[in-house]
Parts: sequence; C-alpha cells; structure tokens
Amino acid sequence: MRTDISVMIAGKAGDGVLFTGNVLAKILKRQGWEIVTYRNFPSNIRGEATDYTIRASLKKIYGSADEIDVLMAFDCDAIFEHIGAVAEEGVVLCEGQELTRLKPREKTGRIFHAFPMRNLARERFGNEIFKNMILLGGLCYILDLDFRIITQIITDTFLKKKGTDVVAKNIQAIHLGCVEAQKIVRKEERHLLKIKKDSNRLLLSGDESIAYGALVAGCRFFAAYPICPATEISQWLALYFPRYEGLVVQTEDELAALNMALGASYAGVRAMTSTSGPGASLMMEGFSLAGMAEIPIVVVHVQRVGPSTGLPTKSEQADLTQWIHGAHGDFPRIILSPGTIKECYEFTIMAFNLADRYQCPVILLTEQDYGQNYRTVKNFGYSKTQIDRGKMLSQKELLDIDDYQRYKFVRDGISPRALPSMKNGIHMVESNEHDVRGYRDESSHNRKMMMEKRMKKLESARKDLIRPKIWGKRTADIGIIGCGSTLGPIQEAMKQLFDSGIETKYMQIRTLWPFLHTEVENFINGCERIYVVDNNFEGQLKHLIMSQVNHKDKMESILNYSGQTIRPQEISGFIQKALKR
Amino acid sequence: MKKKDYHLHDPTWCLGCGIYGVFSSLKATALSLRMKPEEIVIVTGIGCHGRLNNYFRSYGFHSLHGRALPVATGVKLANVRLSVITVSGDGDAYSIGLSHFIHAVRRNVDLTYIVINNMIFALTQGQTSPTSRMGVISVSMPFGSKELPLDGPRLAFASGGTFIARGFSGTPKQLRHLFEQGLRHKGFSLIDVLSPCVTHNKINTYDWYRKNTYDIGQKQGYDPENRHMAEQVLKGEEKMALGLLYKEERPSYEDLLLPGKKPLLQSRLTIDRKEQERILKKFE
Repeated sequence: MRTDISVMIAGKAGDGVLFTGNVLAKILKRQGWEIVTYRNFPSNIRGEATDYTIRASLKKIYGSADEIDVLMAFDCDAIFEHIGAVAEEGVVLCEGQELTRLKPREKTGRIFHAFPMRNLARERFGNEIFKNMILLGGLCYILDLDFRIITQIITDTFLKKKGTDVVAKNIQAIHLGCVEAQKIVRKEERHLLKIKKDSNRLLLSGDESIAYGALVAGCRFFAAYPICPATEISQWLALYFPRYEGLVVQTEDELAALNMALGASYAGVRAMTSTSGPGASLMMEGFSLAGMAEIPIVVVHVQRVGPSTGLPTKSEQADLTQWIHGAHGDFPRIILSPGTIKECYEFTIMAFNLADRYQCPVILLTEQDYGQNYRTVKNFGYSKTQIDRGKMLSQKELLDIDDYQRYKFVRDGISPRALPSMKNGIHMVESNEHDVRGYRDESSHNRKMMMEKRMKKLESARKDLIRPKIWGKRTADIGIIGCGSTLGPIQEAMKQLFDSGIETKYMQIRTLWPFLHTEVENFINGCERIYVVDNNFEGQLKHLIMSQVNHKDKMESILNYSGQTIRPQEISGFIQKALKR
Repeated sequence: MKKKDYHLHDPTWCLGCGIYGVFSSLKATALSLRMKPEEIVIVTGIGCHGRLNNYFRSYGFHSLHGRALPVATGVKLANVRLSVITVSGDGDAYSIGLSHFIHAVRRNVDLTYIVINNMIFALTQGQTSPTSRMGVISVSMPFGSKELPLDGPRLAFASGGTFIARGFSGTPKQLRHLFEQGLRHKGFSLIDVLSPCVTHNKINTYDWYRKNTYDIGQKQGYDPENRHMAEQVLKGEEKMALGLLYKEERPSYEDLLLPGKKPLLQSRLTIDRKEQERILKKFE
C-alpha cells in the first residue's frame, strides 16, 4: 500500500487535461488524501503540450514531489519530456505506439503500456471526448479508486448542466477504461491506494481562497482586467459578489481597474483589484496615487514569469522589487506574502484591516503556483471576521469637530477619514502635494511635514504586521529563508535533508515590507549558514534581506528561474553540495 | 443656498481664461439644482482645469492625468446618491485618458463629464493636443501638426453616448443650461466645452470660436433625439454646432448593476455562519 503518490496526466492543450486532472484531484481528496496539484500549461488554447500532476499523500504535504509514479498521456511527446521524472517501477500509459522511440536506458525499471484511449472513445462512443473518462477508468484500475466516489463526482459535475444521459455515458466510459486497463496492466504493477475518511477539508486554489477571503473581509467593490494567473479571482467574485450586495467591474485595462477601485474606496467601500506581470506595471501610477492620497486599497498580484509577456501561465517570484521599490516617489506600502492556501484566505482579511487602519495600499503578493493550483486544507469553518475600518469618522463624530482636516498632523500619522456625502467633512483628495485639508501646497515646510506624516504610518503599522514563521528544528544551524510558494518545496527539501542526516530550520517571511529586521536578524544570528530560496534570477529576496541586515557572507542564494516552481531536490541537493565544500 | 456657498476661493487662472466661464456656470447650475456641497464630488484630472477643486466648494478628488473617469466611476458606483461631476481637459479626456472616455460612454455610468477643450496643452506651456487643428504650429510640433484632430462629441456618438452636448465658455448662459440638463440626465452626459486659452493658443480665440460655431437652436426643426439628424450635425460641417446635439434614454450602468439603487456603501459587510458554511461546501 502506498502512502504518497504522484500522478501526471499529459496531452495537448484542448485535450481536457485540466478538467480530467481536476476530477482526479477531487476523487483523491474525497478518498481522504492530502492533495497538491501542479498545472503546467502553455499560454495557448489548443495544440501545445500541457500536463497536470496530482500529488496525493496520507501525510501533510505542502508541495509537489520530485518524481512521478503514474503517467497517463494522450500522446507521446509528454512522455519524452517527462520520462526523466518517472520513478522506478513507475507506470506509463500512453495513447500511441511511439513508445518504441524511447531509448532502452529510459525504459529500464519503468513499466510501459499502450492504452488506446482515443481509439476506444471513437469506437465505443463515436466521440473522442470520452477519452478523458477512459483515462480516469484506467487510473481507477491502477490506483484502485472508489467507484462510488467517482460516480458521485461525475454526477455532480454533469447532471445539472448536461443531464442524465451524459452522466450515464461518462460513467460507462470510466467502466470501459477500467476493464481495458485490466487487460494490459498486471496486478503487481498497480499502485493501490487505501481510503481514509475525508473529514472536514477543502480543496481549493489560492485564487479562490483569496476571493473568498475578500468576500468575508467585507470587500464589496472589485475592479480588474482579465489576466492570467489572477483571472480566477475575478471570476469567482463575479459569480458571488452580486449575491452579497457587492459589485465587480471588468475594466478596460489595469489603469482603470486600480483607479476605479481607488474611487470606490475613497467613497467608503472596501475595494480590491487583482493582476499579474504587465498589469502590475500599468498599476504603478495608481499605486503611487493611493500612497499620496492615503486611500486604503488591496491589490492582489499573482506573479507569473516575466519580463514582458514572459511565460504567462507559469510561476515565478520576480516582482518583489517592483512593489517594494516600484512606482514614483516615496510612500508607505505594506506587502504580504502568503505561503499556504489558508494564509491566502487569512492574509486577505488582514490586508483589508491593515489598509483601513494605515490608510495605505496593501499588496498581497502570491504566485501562479498558489493562484491556480489546488491544495487540500482543513475547512476554514465559520470565521467571525473582525472588520476594522480604522479611523473612520461617523457623521456624529464629524459634526463635533470644529475644523475638520482630512490630513491632520497626528502622532501616529493616521488622520481620521470623512467620506463624501458627510456633513462638515468637505475636503480635497489631491494627487499633488497638499496641506492638511487636501489642498495643493508646494511649500517646503508643508512638504516635509506631510512626507513625514505619511511615512510615520509604516512605523505605526510595524507592531501590527504578520511576523515570520519558523519551521523545523530550532537548534539547527543550517537556516533556509523563503517566502510565498517556495514553502512547499522547502518543506519537502527539509524532509529530504533530515533523511540524509542534515537538520535545518526555515524562516518563512510573511511580510515583505516594511521589513521586520529584528526577527530576521535573530534568525540569521542563530544560524551558521543561510540559504535564501528565490524563484527568480536575481535573488530578489536575498537582496532585500541583504539591504536590511548585516550578514552578507553567511548568505547564499538557491535560485530557479526556469518557469517552474523550484523542485525540492534542487534545494536539498544544493545544500548537501554546499556543506561538502 | 447661495452661489457663494459653492465658492471656496477666487481662482487664479489667467485673466480671460475660458475656465472662468465653466466655473461660474457650474456654480450657477449647482444653485439652480439646489445641490448640497457635501453631496457633490468633483473629480478632475491633470491640466489647468484641475485647479477647479481648489475653488469650488464640494468634495473633490484631483486624480492622475487621464484617470478622472475611472476614479469618478468608482465613486459613483460606491455611492449612487452622490452627484459626481468629472472635469477634464482635452489632453486628459481625448489623449491620455481616451480609452477610459470611450468605455465610460459605452457603460453609460451616471456621470456628468465636462471636457474643457482649449485645443492645446496649456499647463505644460502650449504643446499640441489631440484636438489641435492640422497644421497648427506649437512648441512640441514646430513644423505643424500632421495629425487629424479628434472630435470628442463625434466619438461619444459612435461609442453609444446618451447625452452629447457642446458648449462654449463665451456663452455661459447656454453652458449653464447644458450643465443642468447633463446633471439631470440619467446616464453618461458629455459636455465638450470650447474654451479659449488666452496665453498659449493665439489661433482658437473667443473671436475664432464665435466665427466657427453656431447655435443648434437656429437649425430649424432640429431634434436631438433624432439619431439621423444628430449624425449629420456631428459629421463635422464647416462650423461646429453648440447646444444639446444628441440625447437618448437608455438604462444607466447603475440601473443595470444595482437593483433598487441601494448604495454599495450600505451593503451588509458580514457573511453569517450559515452562508459561510454554504459557500465553503462548494470546495469540499
């Protein structure tokens, strides 16, 4: 019996790989397994290679594995591409007969079978589309999946939209796949998975988690331009917001998206936008406006691979610098980096409270790997969210104020807000430098005071920010630092290192800006060596740390800029090698 | 209410600037419609017009260059009870913010959009604007513009505009009338205001505008609700027509998106236990 398995489904865009993968992930989740999915797909609708890997485990897992145990492919290209990752005794089922093209060395230790899914679909159902269900049937046999669960999921998926006939046909196709696989896969080649109780867990993506978080946080205005890999946030909100008195606007571009959200937030509604790469570049001017005008706003940036259009559907962490140092002028900003699906939800709620409390832009910086891939997580359950609107004046309070000043100089830098329509609150919101009432003021004296007032908010915010989380053995003197989606690979790498006798600890940085020196400094002081994991070329996280603390000689970068999330073995291998030096 | 209730400061635009006409007409409009200053939000962009907020007493938002309309749209959608007046120059509206202009027209958001069109970039000292006539010489195009000018009202018509007007800051009475109609209109109203820049534009002067415009009221039998007639007038004759050029009734964006017109601002923020659990069930 296996306790951990990775299954890859591969084909061409348009083959239905994503759909089939999602169904399989759901089946395995309902069988009680922990799930991490990994989509590798092109920015293309039809024709290019795409694959979807589901890792399932009976233990808690955070990321993908290095190896694939079962590979199901609609064509052989995927096999040539991924053969190196297939584990020993791994099973490969492929549509075509081209398996002969594999070198003997590549075949050794692995099991190959031709499985004519397309042909079977055409012959028995007169439609190639059923190949996906035949594939699932094949997996049903190899993994010994529970038929009742599959039937339930297929029924839930198709019944409402397509009717009983389609449900029946799909189930027939699964049966067919199961029977046909039995003919070709030997009993001892199967990887049998047992069933655990699926108790109170969710299977969702980071994008969904963030969107749900926004709803619970009281966000009621969302404006965005569709962009991969953040689109799922808009789509989820577009469906749900109207039911909860919220509004979603699909804008003409990202310039409009952020500015519209700023308009709504200024008028008093919690507002958010989401974007990625090129869209974030367009948002820089609005980001700067939010800083100057002191308007609370939450921007979700699901990072994809840059520069330029880059690899739009793949994961990277190369936009840290853009938000930390980007946009013209100095202004306060808070940048959060969630590292788990649960944190995507929790940090979204915190982001709204932070934005309101400190009247500044809050950026939720995630990655495509978290945005679009699915993971199991303990059910969030009901959360009695504390919605803290910060220093927001009520009409009554405002009427008691003699001379209301929107940008009043106060000790913590946070001046009370009045909203348009309120009596006695008339003021200006100026993109130019302004005085306490918001009216343009170009004097050096005022400029200095206003600058200091705005920047003071960051200091006030410091105590309120999300501290780094430390994982692993506290006494270890090998330290790893990372943020966001490298959490999964780092956790896996730590297990691998532990198995080879190397103890490590890991600091997950959760607030990128303002930088929390003390915690990072303390962690570094407690380590002999520090490895900073960055899913980018320049080592942006490492540079950020180096610019803030004094330990340059201790720190080394582990980088990946291949367009894929870093693999556990890249991290563990690097550290093992470095320690031998 | 008195006119001076909307007057915060005396403006410091150049003496004779067309924007004075807009400023005074706007105050007169606010008075005649008995608008409360706290229920007006004036959103401006970057340009000489952007100072308007500093002189007009109401809530004001001086946004970024070209972004007045997205900001104003956000304000209006958040609180439909506000009267949101957006003011831009020709650079703001028809150059850097052109895309927002077309989309705001197409959405038919209930905004009143006043474009102070002086056919020049004035604040930045006299460069060619998208409404400058072909051949016009300026500091940015010293050998004359080689580009066709852009016509805002015509573009609005092609984009599905529901209220399209052109005014002239030299005829404040008509301007006030157009502002009033625009503010009453349910949906997006464009009032393109021909407005001389006395400092940088020596061609399109008050006299030039008087010679090159006519009042649409003089055109016998003109019906602004007649699409065909409007098309003819907007096609661009030798002279530009002043007045309400086109009008149609169409549900506004808020009518379609916010049933009951309840301001988003008053939306319930908390999601109760039952609802949270129901939503989370979808992820199980």
